[in-house]
Amino acid sequence: MSESDNNISIMADWVQLNHVNKVYSNGTVALQDVSLHIKENEFISFVGPSGCGKSTVFKLIAGLTEATDGDIRIMGMSPAHARKQSEMAFVFQDHTLLPWCSVEDNVMLPLSLRGMPKKQRLEEAARVLELVGLKDYKKALPRMLSGGMKMRVSIARALASRPKLLLMDEPFGALDEITRQTLQQELLDIWQREKGMTVLFVTHNVFEAVFLSTRVMVMTPRPGKIAEEISIPFAFPRDDSYHATPEFSEYVREVSAALKH
Amino acid sequence: MDNVHESMASGITGTTSKPVSAASGQKKATRGWLTKLSQIVPPLMAFIVLIGGWELIVTWIGTPTYVLPKPSDIYLAASDNFSSLMASAWKTVWESIYGFAISVVLGVSGAIFLGLSKTIEKSIYPYAVILQTIPIVAIAPIIVIWFGAGMNSIVIIAFLIGFFPMLSNTLIGLNSTEQNMKNLFTLYNASRLQTMWRLRIPAALPFIAAGMKISCTLAVIGAIVGEYVAGIGGGEGGLGYAITVAATRLQTPYLFACGLSASLLGVAFFLLINAFSKWLLSSWHESEMKVDN
Repeated sequence: MSESDNNISIMADWVQLNHVNKVYSNGTVALQDVSLHIKENEFISFVGPSGCGKSTVFKLIAGLTEATDGDIRIMGMSPAHARKQSEMAFVFQDHTLLPWCSVEDNVMLPLSLRGMPKKQRLEEAARVLELVGLKDYKKALPRMLSGGMKMRVSIARALASRPKLLLMDEPFGALDEITRQTLQQELLDIWQREKGMTVLFVTHNVFEAVFLSTRVMVMTPRPGKIAEEISIPFAFPRDDSYHATPEFSEYVREVSAALKH
Repeated sequence: MDNVHESMASGITGTTSKPVSAASGQKKATRGWLTKLSQIVPPLMAFIVLIGGWELIVTWIGTPTYVLPKPSDIYLAASDNFSSLMASAWKTVWESIYGFAISVVLGVSGAIFLGLSKTIEKSIYPYAVILQTIPIVAIAPIIVIWFGAGMNSIVIIAFLIGFFPMLSNTLIGLNSTEQNMKNLFTLYNASRLQTMWRLRIPAALPFIAAGMKISCTLAVIGAIVGEYVAGIGGGEGGLGYAITVAATRLQTPYLFACGLSASLLGVAFFLLINAFSKWLLSSWHESEMKVDN
């Protein structure tokens, strides 16, 4: 394969896992032969029961742990290198906001950690707080906010570094159903507005996965592997009416069936 | 007909709801005042009963003053020697403050140093524990030999006694940062110093404040102990020195007055540090938040 061919394949896949195995030191096989090819601007959900290796996939992509076998490339770089280039951002189930910092300071944290000048940081913070509808709360402390608002701040913090890859690990898992649906809609709107951002989203919730994603990766445990890849070709922008369509029910049925394998 | 009734009823509750809430607000205020009173009155009553009983029983039995002085004797001894008592107390105040300040500065910075690396912590912390287990009165004479009698030795003894609570509390605080938060900092490529400065030290503040509350009263005790072994006279002695002098002269009422002053000093220190801790943490940490129920 020539040099240029290689480059093309790198450009085509933003995230690439080739036959990745992960065995923990205690012998647990967390992942077996996982291959992934994710392109620019995709919204990928990972659905599966606990212990199916969803979190391990995330740790591998984030470069927090190394694969036992196989190859991982993030935009042609190793995961650790890609992270150093600030191409990735993270949102967890826990909002992980610093309780002693204002909303604005929390949002600027990733930027100040990499030494961005203050003026630029403030501009970015204003931009992303506007995006999540919290610009009036920039001086508030996290404890004054509701669970949904804290999650919005957490998302704003992730977006502040203008990531090419946004990793979300069950971000709405701790929220009530109503807030959850509102935030799903907002997340989709933001993803469509921020052109060129790929989202990887871990969830237990089949409805959430089908509502948000362009593709759903159904994972099964012991050993963790990708059982099926299901495309969700329903057109964007999606809104509440999508829930009521026959296509929606069909996708949900398909994903649920794959989970039962 | 039912509808009319309902709307009337809601109309009535609608109009009455405001006065009711105002009255309940007033009631709440009086209740708040009453709870405050109920917190002050019982200990005050106990104090009066105790002091009164002490005075009466000692008078009645006729115990000699040098064995057990009456509260009135203690009061007289304190007011007769007020200026020298104040001078001694003032001396002790400064010794305690210096000792406390040094224990806070060295305790916190020492803990930060240990916290930077697990290897350093593992190799040095055991010796800090051993240092703590040596009784302070056993080291005190050595300190006097090294630093001479007077202020220096006393401050060092006050520092030594308050140092370990600061060190260990801060270290526990630095090491109890949530794993999720630490992961976040790792994921955003924070350096070790950035994580320390931006995450671990702020997260340790409640622990540091708790350590300060322990150390501030210990510093007063340390200063008194220091004066026992290293105190010097000539108007330069603190409360500990005054106690030893009063004891040798059997001036028991003055001895009591000095002891009580020392305890008041400790209480005042504690309240001051407590207020500082509230001011520092009330905006974000649960331990110092006002709870409205």
